[in-house]
Amino acid sequence: MADPNTKFLVVDDFSTMRRIVRNLLKELGYSNVEEAEDGADGLAKLKAGGFDFVVSDWNMPNMDGLTMLQQIRADANLSKIPVLMVTAEAKKENIIAAAQAGANGYVVKPFTAATLDEKLSKIFEKMEKAGA
Amino acid sequence: MNSPFASAIADVVTSAAAQPGGCEQEAMLARVGQITRALHDRLRELGFDKVLEKATVEMPDVRDRLNYVARMTEQAAQRVLNATDAAIPMQERIDASADEILGGWKSTLAAPFSEANYRDMATLTMQCLADMRKDTGATKEQLLEIMMAQDFQDLTGQVIRKVTDLAHELEQQLVQFLVDYAPSEIRREPVSSLLNGPQINPAGRSDVVADQSQVDDLLDSLGF
Repeated sequence: MADPNTKFLVVDDFSTMRRIVRNLLKELGYSNVEEAEDGADGLAKLKAGGFDFVVSDWNMPNMDGLTMLQQIRADANLSKIPVLMVTAEAKKENIIAAAQAGANGYVVKPFTAATLDEKLSKIFEKMEKAGA
Repeated sequence: MNSPFASAIADVVTSAAAQPGGCEQEAMLARVGQITRALHDRLRELGFDKVLEKATVEMPDVRDRLNYVARMTEQAAQRVLNATDAAIPMQERIDASADEILGGWKSTLAAPFSEANYRDMATLTMQCLADMRKDTGATKEQLLEIMMAQDFQDLTGQVIRKVTDLAHELEQQLVQFLVDYAPSEIRREPVSSLLNGPQINPAGRSDVVADQSQVDDLLDSLGF
């Protein structure tokens, strides 16, 4: 497990899904979690600083998750933040578009706690390797 | 079926494209008026005006029904999440109590016999068991709450069935209408979008993934 103080931003327009992701993260040992209700809100919170990890939905009002991801990657201060997409979008072109935009992982809803754990571990592992 | 509307529409479009002059424009407007009138009459003859009337009455009702489904499912989700939020700390307390008793007895048994130690441990054990009983009782209440939160299924199921029936009926009427009157050149362009929401029926489709393992395979195959 990575640093338990890792600060997560969970971006989803449904409060229920935000709560579920927050609870799962807590169960995995990460209790430093904040929430945003769409891409625009998420990006504003990220720009305010302090976040280490983003878990984002795709289909949201105001700004969707892909646009937010592209903006994160285009911002010099945020470009290195890992982004895990957790979304109901299941078309192959979606998955490819997310990967090309720089997503670090892609989880398709409905998902299990084990899947989330596995994807997070994989991303942290890759980050450690890159950092070492 | 060779439709008079299809050819009339095609005529108007070609003549408008060929001669965009003022006089032709008037002719075109007159022609559009005629088509509208004819369409209206045919709709009435075929009983489609009733269908449309029904649609205008039933659509707002459908919207209300779907709002109801959204509201009920959200409420249920909140109730379940509240119950788990309440139950998890109780389970953690039970776990901690068990650890405490286990550790206490281990060290009591390891140390030389002392009646006082045994008495202390017995008191501690009884206290912990009493606490556990409270927590298990309260956890059970939360489990019942989770069970009761599923009562939306029955209500939303009925509402959804009504909405799908209505949608099916309207779809059939509209499809029939299109079959009868659409010009043959009109072909449906497949809409390509990245915002499609959940895939209701991924079976037999090659452009969507059915589960997480297929997502992983796809990303692997692309080298991500």
